Amino acid sequence: MAQVLRVDWPSCEARGLCHEVLPELVDLDEWGYPIVKGPLTKELMDHAKEAVKVCPRLALRIVEGR
Amino acid sequence: MTTTYLEPHLTREEDGRPASPVPAPMEVTVRPGPALLAGIENGPSLAAHRRQYGQIPHLNGKELHALVKRMQVRGRGGAAFPFAIKLETILKGSRPILVVNLSEGELASAKDHALALTRPHLVLDGVVATAKALRTRKVHVVLPGERPGAAAAMRAAIAERSDGVNIYTSTASSRFVAGQARAVVELLSGRPNLPATTWAPEAIKGLNGRPTLLSNGETWARVGLLVLRGDEEYASIGTDEEPGATLLTMNMQGSVPIVAEAAYGDRLRDYIPHDRHGLPAMVGGFHGAWATWETLASAKVSVNKMRAMGNALGAGLVLSSPDCPVSLTTRTVEYLAGQSAGRCGPCFNGLPALATALTAVHDGHGGLERVEQLSNLVVRRGACAHPDGTVRLVNSMLSTFPAEVEAHAHGRCDLKAGSRELVGDSFTRILEVA
Repeated sequence: MAQVLRVDWPSCEARGLCHEVLPELVDLDEWGYPIVKGPLTKELMDHAKEAVKVCPRLALRIVEGR
Repeated sequence: MTTTYLEPHLTREEDGRPASPVPAPMEVTVRPGPALLAGIENGPSLAAHRRQYGQIPHLNGKELHALVKRMQVRGRGGAAFPFAIKLETILKGSRPILVVNLSEGELASAKDHALALTRPHLVLDGVVATAKALRTRKVHVVLPGERPGAAAAMRAAIAERSDGVNIYTSTASSRFVAGQARAVVELLSGRPNLPATTWAPEAIKGLNGRPTLLSNGETWARVGLLVLRGDEEYASIGTDEEPGATLLTMNMQGSVPIVAEAAYGDRLRDYIPHDRHGLPAMVGGFHGAWATWETLASAKVSVNKMRAMGNALGAGLVLSSPDCPVSLTTRTVEYLAGQSAGRCGPCFNGLPALATALTAVHDGHGGLERVEQLSNLVVRRGACAHPDGTVRLVNSMLSTFPAEVEAHAHGRCDLKAGSRELVGDSFTRILEVA
């Protein structure tokens, strides 16, 4: 199964750091909440880990799944 | 975003949230049925129940699993998830906690409500037999917050029993999303009764991190019936692919909801009251999908077939509408937007925006593209499926009633309550005389 970046929606407060760190995979919607565009690729893994780390709400996880 | 907008046809709850277009039932009509609802005329007492069904036979976990797998018992909360798969997970884990979810947050539905009033001991036998099979004593029963009669009936039934199982009761809050599985686990954990992010299924990691077997009232009653009567009798109705029966709530704004029990394979139309023949309906409730009368008239009661048609049976609610479907959908989405727990950004921003966009379409100001854009934006972006269910209803309105939506875009509606005129040909309004 592919690795995906999953958002803990009740924790997310649209701070937007994930988009700063990982614009290749994360867009922001009109209210500033992340739109994860697809599964994680190997090339983006380091950036994804960084995004998980910098999220001030600890609202991101890398999980197996769709 | 919601507070600035007020439409004259909306009534507001005291807390400022739009009221449900169909209120919580003050009355429920329950028809005798072929399985769970057989013998309801003898009353809900434990004595009457035991006279009809006898004592609970003892089964171990493996036997119970074989039985529910063979009879394909499915979750009746809406998702129709196979009970045997949940049970399989539970059997692999440590001692579980069992939860009977009677919260029925969908106000237009009344099937678990009806079971609490007429068949509380079938529900309890299902969970008690399972508790014994799994060697656990912890059972939680979650009662509906907005149906005091049903809650009282269930409490009275619990007080009658002495099974050697500890049954704890709690009361769900009166919100559409309060009955969602994880929201119920939150309630039982002493936190607000609202959805939270699920990292693992409840059957693996539920209440207090323990394996939790959570199912709704009807599911437990089906398990109870199966254990008490055995598979031969259970499968004496229904079809080979789908044995047994299912509860249906036939509702229409302004009428007392009717709860009936249909065997799988029966014609759906035979359960829809004659005065509603010819009318379209929301099938599966507010998170369901619209169906034209033609679709309803040709449908067989079936989880698989109805799902394939795009009108999943869900929790069995058929909400007929004499009103314009565009108008009822708009009011429903207003209500659902107000029912957001307010926890997930895309839902608490997106659903009110969707309601506003839909109102613009309804009122003839156009903006269908905005409805579609917002629909795409909110799905799969929340802790629960509330945005997804809401979008499903909106999409089904767009695909089922294109002519009516088009008429609204031009500032017309020929289907206001009382009007018998048709727009386009997407549904007919033939009142059948049977």
